[in-house]
Amino acid sequence: MNRTPSTARSGTFIASRRSVLLGGASLIAAVAAPGSRVLAASPGSNPGKYKADLGGYIGPKLSDAPMTLRVLRQEFSPEINAPIRAAYTAFKEAYPNITIEEERIPYGDLAKKVQLYVASGSAPDIMMGSTELAPVYSAGKIAVPLNDYFSQDFIQDIYAPLRESATIDGKVMCLAWESNSSFLYFNRDIFKRAGVATPPEVIEMEGGWTADQYINALRAITEKARKSGDQATFGLASSRFGNRGPGSNYSQLESMWVRMMGDPRAPKDSTAYKTFAGISENGQIATGYLDTPEAIKGMTNYQTLFKEDLSPKGIVADQYKGGVAATDFSSMAFANTFRSQGAPFDWGVSPPLRGAIGFASNVADAPFIYSGSPHIPEAAALLAFLLNDTNRRAFYAARGSMPSRQSLTNEMPEYKSDPVNMLAANVAAGAYGPPKSVGWLDYVNAVNPAVKDIALGVDVADRLHTAARQVDRLLVKYR
Amino acid sequence: MLRGLRTPDPTRRTENYFGPAMVLPALLGLGLFQFYPLVSAVLNSFRTFNAFTKRPTGWAGWNNFIEIFADDVFRNAVLITLIYIVLMIAIVVPMALGLAILIDKRMRGTALARAAILGALASSEAVAALIWNQLYEPGTGLFDAILKSMGLPEQPFLVSGPHAIVSIVVMTAWKDVGLPMLIFLGGLQAISPQLIEAAALDGASSWRIFRRITLPLLRPSLILAIFMVTVAAARLFTPIILLTQGGPDGQTTNVPFYSYAQAFEFSSPGTASASVMFMMVILVGITALQAFVIRDSNDGGRR
Repeated sequence: MNRTPSTARSGTFIASRRSVLLGGASLIAAVAAPGSRVLAASPGSNPGKYKADLGGYIGPKLSDAPMTLRVLRQEFSPEINAPIRAAYTAFKEAYPNITIEEERIPYGDLAKKVQLYVASGSAPDIMMGSTELAPVYSAGKIAVPLNDYFSQDFIQDIYAPLRESATIDGKVMCLAWESNSSFLYFNRDIFKRAGVATPPEVIEMEGGWTADQYINALRAITEKARKSGDQATFGLASSRFGNRGPGSNYSQLESMWVRMMGDPRAPKDSTAYKTFAGISENGQIATGYLDTPEAIKGMTNYQTLFKEDLSPKGIVADQYKGGVAATDFSSMAFANTFRSQGAPFDWGVSPPLRGAIGFASNVADAPFIYSGSPHIPEAAALLAFLLNDTNRRAFYAARGSMPSRQSLTNEMPEYKSDPVNMLAANVAAGAYGPPKSVGWLDYVNAVNPAVKDIALGVDVADRLHTAARQVDRLLVKYR
Repeated sequence: MLRGLRTPDPTRRTENYFGPAMVLPALLGLGLFQFYPLVSAVLNSFRTFNAFTKRPTGWAGWNNFIEIFADDVFRNAVLITLIYIVLMIAIVVPMALGLAILIDKRMRGTALARAAILGALASSEAVAALIWNQLYEPGTGLFDAILKSMGLPEQPFLVSGPHAIVSIVVMTAWKDVGLPMLIFLGGLQAISPQLIEAAALDGASSWRIFRRITLPLLRPSLILAIFMVTVAAARLFTPIILLTQGGPDGQTTNVPFYSYAQAFEFSSPGTASASVMFMMVILVGITALQAFVIRDSNDGGRR
C-alpha cells in the first residue's frame, strides 16, 4: 500500500517529495544560518565518531541486526514535521538496518496514549513525554535514565530549570524538546484605543506588571471597549493551551496565578513557601499547599478575569492573533509567527506577571526512552540524532520555538540583540518547574477542573480546599 | 417393516455439526468482546493495581467498593445519574410519543420530519455534542445570540450546574428521541383503526379516545420506550465529556464519567471497575424490573 507521511498516522516512514523538499530546505537553511557550527564539536554535535552525527550520544556501539524503532509524538503541521522526517531519512541512510516507525497523535491525547501504551507493556521505544512527569517516569520505572547514554556536556547544556525539572535523584529521565516558558504579549493598538499605558517592555524576568496592575489595565480596556459598543474585544484571550478555555492547562499556564503569590525564598514552614511549592516535600499532600491564603488570593485574581468579563468564559479560537484580545500569554511561538507571516496589529511583549515573585512555568515536551524497549542503545542513538545541533536548528527554524539548549541559543544572534528573544531567554533561565510528585498527573487532573470551576464562579476557597483534599486522597495510592 | 426401529437421518446428522459451527463465530465474538471484558471488570474490581503500569498487583477484597462509597464525588455521581434518568424519561418519552402521533397522522411534511428525526438519531454522538457545544458557548454561542437579540439575558447553559444538566439532557433528547418515537410509531400502527372509528361513532372526543384506547394499547411500547431511555440515560457519557467534562464543580458527573475519570485520569483501574460493577448491578436491576413488568402485562392480557 502506498502511504504518504502526511496521511500515515503510524507505520513505516516513507518520505514524500514534499517532505523531502521541505526537510531539505530546512536543513539547508540551518546549515547556511549565521554562526552555524555543524562540524564543530559543540555539546550537541559529535561528527565523525559514529556513522551519523549522534550528538550527545555516548552509549555502546549500535547493533547491526535488523530492527524497528517505534516513535510516538504529537502531530505538527507539515512544515514542522518536515525536518523530523528529513532526520529519519538521514538516520536510516547511516543505519540501514534500523527501520523507524512513527505514530503521530493529537497533542491533547499524548499523555493518555503514553499511559495506555505503558499499561499494555508494549510501548514505542521513544515517546514524547513532558518534563513535569519526570517523577512519574522515575518512580514507575517507565523511562530509562539517560545519563549513561548522553554526555555530561550535552545534559549540562540544557537550560538549568528545564534540566532540573527532568532530573530525579541525579538521573535525567527525559530531554526537553524546546523551551515553552510564556510571557505577556499585548496588542498595542487596543491599549492605545483605550488610552491605557502598555506594560513595561523590559527583558528582565522580574520587570513585569504585578497581577493587580494587569487586572486594572484590563478593566480599563474592557470598560472602554464596552462603552464604545465593542462587545468582541476582551482584555485577556481565551486560553489556547491543552483543550483550550479556562482550566485547560494548570501546569503550563494557570499555575502562575497561584505560585506567583508564593515565595521559594521564604521559610519552609511559611504559607508563602508552601504556596510556591504547591505540594508537600514528599509529593504526597496538597492540603495546606494548594489552598493557602496566598493561593486563594491568586485564584481570586484569576476568577476576577472571568467574573468581570475581562476574559471569555468559553473557548474562542485565536483571539489574540485575531486582534480581539488586548493580551495573551505565549512563548516565542507568537513572535516568530508574527515575524514570518506578519501581524495584523502592533504587538509588544512584557515579562511574566508578578505576585510575590515573577512567575513562569518551564514545563516542556520532553522525549524519553521506554524502559521496556528491546533496543535501548539504538533508541538513545536515534533520540540523540534527532537532538543533534543540525537537526535541532532545522526543527527550531521550522517551528519558531526557542531551543532548550543554551549553546544553540547562544549561537543565534537574535538572542543577543533582539529584546523579544532576550526576554524569552531570560524567562527560560528564570522559569520554575512544576511541583515534583509521583502523582503529578492525578494532581493536575484534579486541579484543572477546579480552575475551570473557579473561572465559572464557584467559591474560590471552598473549591481549592476540595481540590486539595481530592489530591490528598488520590495520592494515597503512591505511598 | 419393524415399527420403532429408526434409521439415522443423514440430513439431521449434518445439522448436528453444521448448526453449532454456524453459531461458533457469534459465540466467539460474544465471548471475546462481551463476556471476557465483563469477567475482567469483575475481577479488576477486587484487585489492586500498580499506579504507574496499571497492572494488577494483588487482591483488594472489598476495598475498592469501600473507597468509592466513601467518595463524595461517587455518591454525587449516583445521584446525578438518577437525575439524568428521571429528566430523560420526563422529556424524551412524552416528546417521542407526541412526535409519533403527529407522524402517524401523515400530514404534509411528515416524511421530512421523520427523516430529520432519524437523521439526528443516525448522526455521530460526538459530532452532535460538538455542534451543541458551539450552540451553548457562553457569550458567543447561537443560543445566547438569539437571547441577546430578543433583549433577554444570556444564560449559563454549560457553566451552572442545574443549567448544564438540563443542557445535556436537551441535547441528548434531540439526538435520541428517534428510537422511542419509532417504538411508539410501531405501537400506534398496530392499533386497529376500527377501534378508533367505533369510539368516534359513539361520540368519544379525541382526548378521550387517546386516553381510553390509544394509551392503554400502547402500554407495551411505553414500557419498552421507558426501558430504552432509562438505559441510554444511565450510560450517558459522550455529551458529558465533550460539553462539560463533568463540571461545573462535578455537577454533571454521572457514574460512567466517574468510572472514566478513575481509570484514565486518576490511574485507579480498581475503583473504576468497582464503579462499573455498581452501575452494572443497577442496570441489571432495572432490566429485571422491566422484564417483570412486561411479564405482568402479558399475563394480564391472557386473563
